Amino acid sequence: MKNKVRLLLASGIASLALMSPAIADQMLRISYTDDPKSADVQMTTDYYTLPLNVYDRLIEAETTGPGTSALVPGLAESWEVSDDGLVYTFHLRQGVKFHDGAELTADDVVYTFDRMLNPETRALGTDILNFVAGAQDRLDGKADTVTGLNAIDKYTVQLTLSQPYAAFLALMASPQASIYNRAFTEAAGDQFGLTPETTNGTGPFILQSYELNDSQMLVANKDYFRGAPKLDRILIRVISDSETLRLLFETDEIDVFDMDYASSQTPYFYASDTWKDQIRSGPRVGMYYYHINQAIKPFDDVRVRKAFQMAINREQILEKNFYGKGQLENGVMPRGLSCYEPATPIEYNPAKAKELLAEAGYPDGVEITLAQVSSWSSKWSDMNQIIQAQAAEAGFTVKIKTMDEAAYFAQRKAGAIDAYTQSWSADFNDPDNFFYTFFSEPGTKVRAFNNMDQEVFDGIEKARSMTDPEARCALYRELGERIVQTDAAWVPLFSLDHSYVVQPRVKNFVVPWNGWSDMNYYKMEIAE
Amino acid sequence: MTVSPDLNVDTVEEIQEASLLRDTMRAFARNRMALLGLVFVALLVFLAIFAPIVSPHDPYRMALDEQFLPPSTTYWLGTDNFGRDVLTRIIYGARISLVVGIVPSLISLIIGTFMGVLSGYIGGKVDFVIMRLADMMIAFPSLLLAMVVMYTLGANLFNIFVALALVGWAGVARVVRSQTLALKEKEFIEAAHANGASRVTIMFRHIFPNVVPTLIVLFSLSIPDAIMWESSLSFLGVGVQPPEASWGLLVSRGKEYLFQAPVVAIAPGVAILLTVLAFNFVGDGLRDALDPSMKD
Amino acid sequence: MLMFAIRRILVSIPVLIGITAILFVMLNVIPGDPVALLMKEHASPEVIARVTAQMHLDDPLWTRYFRFLSGALQGDLGTSIKLNRSVTSLIMKAFPNTLYLAACAAVVSWIIGIPAGILSAVRRDSFIDRFFMGFSLLGVSMPIFWSALLMQYIFALKLKWLPVSGFYGFEYVIMPAIVLGWSSAGVIARLTRSSLLEVMRHDYIRTARAKGLREVGVISGHALKNALIPVVTIMAIQIASLLSGAVITEAIFGIPGVGRISINAIQARDMPLLQGSVLFATVLVILGNLVADILYSILDPRIRSQMGRGKP
Repeated sequence: MKNKVRLLLASGIASLALMSPAIADQMLRISYTDDPKSADVQMTTDYYTLPLNVYDRLIEAETTGPGTSALVPGLAESWEVSDDGLVYTFHLRQGVKFHDGAELTADDVVYTFDRMLNPETRALGTDILNFVAGAQDRLDGKADTVTGLNAIDKYTVQLTLSQPYAAFLALMASPQASIYNRAFTEAAGDQFGLTPETTNGTGPFILQSYELNDSQMLVANKDYFRGAPKLDRILIRVISDSETLRLLFETDEIDVFDMDYASSQTPYFYASDTWKDQIRSGPRVGMYYYHINQAIKPFDDVRVRKAFQMAINREQILEKNFYGKGQLENGVMPRGLSCYEPATPIEYNPAKAKELLAEAGYPDGVEITLAQVSSWSSKWSDMNQIIQAQAAEAGFTVKIKTMDEAAYFAQRKAGAIDAYTQSWSADFNDPDNFFYTFFSEPGTKVRAFNNMDQEVFDGIEKARSMTDPEARCALYRELGERIVQTDAAWVPLFSLDHSYVVQPRVKNFVVPWNGWSDMNYYKMEIAE
Repeated sequence: MTVSPDLNVDTVEEIQEASLLRDTMRAFARNRMALLGLVFVALLVFLAIFAPIVSPHDPYRMALDEQFLPPSTTYWLGTDNFGRDVLTRIIYGARISLVVGIVPSLISLIIGTFMGVLSGYIGGKVDFVIMRLADMMIAFPSLLLAMVVMYTLGANLFNIFVALALVGWAGVARVVRSQTLALKEKEFIEAAHANGASRVTIMFRHIFPNVVPTLIVLFSLSIPDAIMWESSLSFLGVGVQPPEASWGLLVSRGKEYLFQAPVVAIAPGVAILLTVLAFNFVGDGLRDALDPSMKD
Repeated sequence: MLMFAIRRILVSIPVLIGITAILFVMLNVIPGDPVALLMKEHASPEVIARVTAQMHLDDPLWTRYFRFLSGALQGDLGTSIKLNRSVTSLIMKAFPNTLYLAACAAVVSWIIGIPAGILSAVRRDSFIDRFFMGFSLLGVSMPIFWSALLMQYIFALKLKWLPVSGFYGFEYVIMPAIVLGWSSAGVIARLTRSSLLEVMRHDYIRTARAKGLREVGVISGHALKNALIPVVTIMAIQIASLLSGAVITEAIFGIPGVGRISINAIQARDMPLLQGSVLFATVLVILGNLVADILYSILDPRIRSQMGRGKP
């Protein structure tokens, strides 16, 4: 007890120095809603702040403007793709040092991807390597190496695919493709990424401390190969309660307030004289949508699905619930995604929706159920409540069923979940990230759309390996029309801006191209 | 928070029912806070029953053009993020709070009394098993237990009853058991036994009436407990679901707008506070009145 | 006394086994998949199936239960599915934080509860009685999530006296300790009041009074000493119940304690972590009860009482 008090006092003094706004070094104080669990990106599919700052990728997706991005050299200085689209050769930058001083070599890259596929690792992010030749055999334990992974010389890596995959380069720029050091990571074993002592990357920041459920501290990597970052330190606090986060921001204990955590605050910040000039906003390459499960009546009938599309006044939701900060979407691809073009608009027409319901055999209306998750932000349940009121006009009696997240994912995996609303932001800038995820044969089942349209399945598979960009985009647009208009398989709502409020001392805050909350802080600055 | 009433069994059994009631009422009436609490509870019950008549607006009607109106003569406490009348929603919330206060308390009282009498009177293995079961329920972190139940059965009002009854019966059983043990030694029980009364008869004819005063106190004190539990579960998102208006839910949603419209979050909190306080005063008053050891 | 303690501990063993078994069965019934949850939106069926098999989560229920039991007997509570760390180390790291909060909260509850109880017993049925009992009941009657919100708003945002949230020093624990401690002050006040009233009725107090001792002398010298026996003994149970009852407080004030771990565990369907933290909390409650019972029988064998669970 006594020791604890002393410890608390000591850490209190230390942290006061950290928290105090007027400190000499440049420290950025940000927050995350949950503990990242690990700095090992292979073990997560959604906490990317640490990986994006501690490691580098062969290629990086750089934000070139609001909602736009370009693939730029990262650890790989240059690369070539063979004409058949199967062989990717990466030439590594020379002299790049890991945080422990070791030099990056081609063997490290081979090791990193092999580790991902090694069944002992129990990695979660293996999907990015699905197309690498021999990946499945390694995952299944049938092989000790991956045939498609080869170090040609000290600074050259070659990846061979089993079939052409147009989005592969974009995937190599995703956080999951972060590169580790062989010697260090092998020695750390299953402890890799769990503590600062067992974490090692090439990135602009070094993990200095990691207090579970409380905070992580990153310090600048002065020897970073692009030059030392402007920030000296980044404090990432775990703050699960959005109201607490807001109070911390208002009391100047946090530098960045992510409005995603409390979209209801949008009007307050836009109206506030203190904060309205401190809002940094950028389009999110992401789609808000209503999911429809065709395995559950009455959504097995396309007329009911069309009626549901028409029964929702999306304009009103965007205006009233999201304060107009976005645009309506009618396809599968949101603005900002490559190949994007506006799709055929969906009409808001409750009267026609009612007719469609009558045609489908429900002249007196029909009951549908919407699922929602108790731990999610209130914006989702607010949306369901509005839809409940709106769809009533078209004859839908909407029941709302709440469950917790674990139940939701389990039911969804089984293909049995009721309709729900969610959003999807691009992991990498390619339509495949949307089409394959939702409407490919495995995707439509595991996400419980159950849109069993063979033509769509074939089209998505075909598009994955197409090499002519224009023909590929045309095919995606065609598939999008079929899914939304012919199949009425989902209800696209809108794409929103992602807004942050930052303290005045934060400079160079750039909203990442895809609108993620997770970003790289290399170029950001703090100035009083 | 369940407080044992510490009733003195020796004297309880000697008090005739009529005089017990009279004394209780007299003692209760002397306690001004308890009376005040009772008046508040009565008012609340009235509002809850006649909610559709007394409340000024429709609790579910959305008017997205009337978001966050400040308190006015039309909307006494202003409107929420959907333009719904805050006062109306609080009045409808009283329905949920009262039902949630009473129903699960009754269920756990019935189960707990049954288990407690059984355990205390029969003793032996039955006693051991029931008491270990009760030990488990009491030692089990109750919020986790309630959450597991809500996750398993789904978040709605009925399942809150189940969760709270599951959490609450063991405490009742313990108290009732210890009273039964004391009563068992009493002459009139032994007399009944000698007269050939069956065990069931003794348990329900002779022992049960004597634990009733304790049960009344336990019941009155478990109502505010249950109200608090419901509001906490709803606050955590695993209780009552929107668009229903539960006070805990109103606070949890309203807190997002603390800056624009503080009333939306504060008012339902005040409602919880006053209601729980009122029930606690009533419970305390009842306990003082029913507990002879507190008499001069 | 030793025999009593040993007997009580032996009796607790079936309780502990029962609780873990119930948990295992419940968690098997409750819908959810820990691995699917690890991957959230990116869940792909192949990866879920593979990782589930790799973690041996697809073994039959009883196999997993006996693996847990035999591990627990050797002091190994397993590895958390979500956090990928040893459960024992996670709990041991979080426990001091919770203990610190609970201890501060207990002190707050005594500071409010004991004087309030004494004053209202002495001035029984007076305004002072009503006021102090009312004040301590106020804490019981305020939902923690609401009072915490108000306190943060007033003391952190408006007055800027205290930090909003976090756990980096004594000033960070003030608000959570007040919120939590006030909520259990009512129980302490009630107990102090009723036991003081009871003691004051006893003959020796009457004798003391008859001898002409002044009221203050009577109360502080004779009555209080005896009246505080049940209060002191109940503190063991109180601390145990504060330890397991701090869940919401920990969440709102960002305290990395055991309560948060257990809530996270249940939300993540993280069986080993949930099992471990529930086992831990249960042992605490059982120990608290045992200590209280022993204290009772040492200090005053006549009194039997229970104190239930704390606020959620």
